[in-house]
Amino acid sequence: MAETASETFTLVITGAPYSSQAPQTALGFAQAAVTAGHRIDRVFLYGDGVHLASALSAPPSDETNWSEEWSRFLSEHSVPGVACIASALRRGLVNETEQKRYELPAANLRTPFEIAGLGEWVEGRIKSTRTLYFHAGD
Amino acid sequence: MATIQTLHILNKSPEHPRAARCLEMVSEEDGLLLTGGGVLFLATGHLSGPGKVFALSPDIDARGLGDFKGSNAELVDFARMVKLSLEANRVISW
Amino acid sequence: MSTLIMIDQAPYGAWTGREALDMAFSLAAFDQPASLFFTGAGVNWLRQNQEAGGIGQKSVEKNLSAAPIFGIEAILADRAACETYGLDENSLIEGVTLVDADAALLNDYDHTAFAG
Repeated sequence: MAETASETFTLVITGAPYSSQAPQTALGFAQAAVTAGHRIDRVFLYGDGVHLASALSAPPSDETNWSEEWSRFLSEHSVPGVACIASALRRGLVNETEQKRYELPAANLRTPFEIAGLGEWVEGRIKSTRTLYFHAGD
Repeated sequence: MATIQTLHILNKSPEHPRAARCLEMVSEEDGLLLTGGGVLFLATGHLSGPGKVFALSPDIDARGLGDFKGSNAELVDFARMVKLSLEANRVISW
Repeated sequence: MSTLIMIDQAPYGAWTGREALDMAFSLAAFDQPASLFFTGAGVNWLRQNQEAGGIGQKSVEKNLSAAPIFGIEAILADRAACETYGLDENSLIEGVTLVDADAALLNDYDHTAFAG
C-alpha cells in the first residue's frame, strides 16, 4: 500500500463541547492528520459547533477545556478556525466587529477564531482533499 | 486490500434513528467506521451487514467495551482513521 | 462535483434543517451542483400550508419552492418516509421527486453531508 502524499482537510464541527464529543473526536483526527504530514486547510464551526469558539468557557480544572485545546492547536499549526457568522450570531458568539455592529454589551470570540460565512465551507469543499464532519452523537 | 468505495463514519448509538439509516446505505465495497456511541454496535452484535467494519479504540476503551475487541471489527487509532479517510474514494459522516 | 445535503430531522423543533438549506443554497450561489434529500421525520419540511408564525418562526415553504430558481438541482424525498407521514402529491409542496433511499442514491453524488 503506497504512502499517501501530503493531503488537505477541511474539518466541520457541528457539535458543541460538553453537549457532545464532536470537538474531541475532531481534535484527535486533526492532531493525527498533522502528525502524518497533512495540512488542515481550515476548521469550520457550524450550528452548535460555534460554542467551541467561546472565550468564556471555564470548566472545572479536572476537565479538558476544549476551547483552549482547540485554540492552542490552531495557533500552533497556523490552521484557520472559522465560526459561521449566521450560526454564531444566533447563539451569541461575537467578535468585536459584530459587537459594534449590533451594539452588544460584549465580545466573546476566542483567539484565533474568526467569523465568516458559509463561503468558507464551500471553498473547503472544493479545494480540500477531504471534508469531514463531526456532529453530535445524540 | 480492495479499495474502500465509501467510508461511512457513524457516531450514533444503536438507538439513534440515523444509525439504521446509515447501515442501510453501506454496501459490500464500503467501510463502516464506528466512533463515539457507534462503538456500542459491537455490544449488540447487530452488525451483520456488508462492508468492512472498523472501530475507534479510544471510544471503545472509554465505554468499557474491551471484551468485544476484535469481535467483528478492526480496531483503529486516529492515525489509521486519517489513512482510511484518504484511502476511501469518499467519506460520509453520519 | 455534486453534493447531496441530507435532512432527517423534523422541522421547527431544531434548526438543523434550516442550516442544511443554507448549506445547499451556499453551494448553489457558488455554482456548485447541489441537491436536497429529505428522509425520516425530515420529510415533514415538505408539507404544504406550514404557518409557523404562532411559534415565532418563519416557514421554509417559500425557500423550498424557490430552490430551483436559486440553482438547487433537485429536491428528493424518501418514498417510504413520505408514506409513514401520510405525505402524497396532494400534501407535498411542488417540485419534490420521490426516491428510494438506498446505496444507489448516494452513488450519484461525490459528497454527502448533514448540517448536524
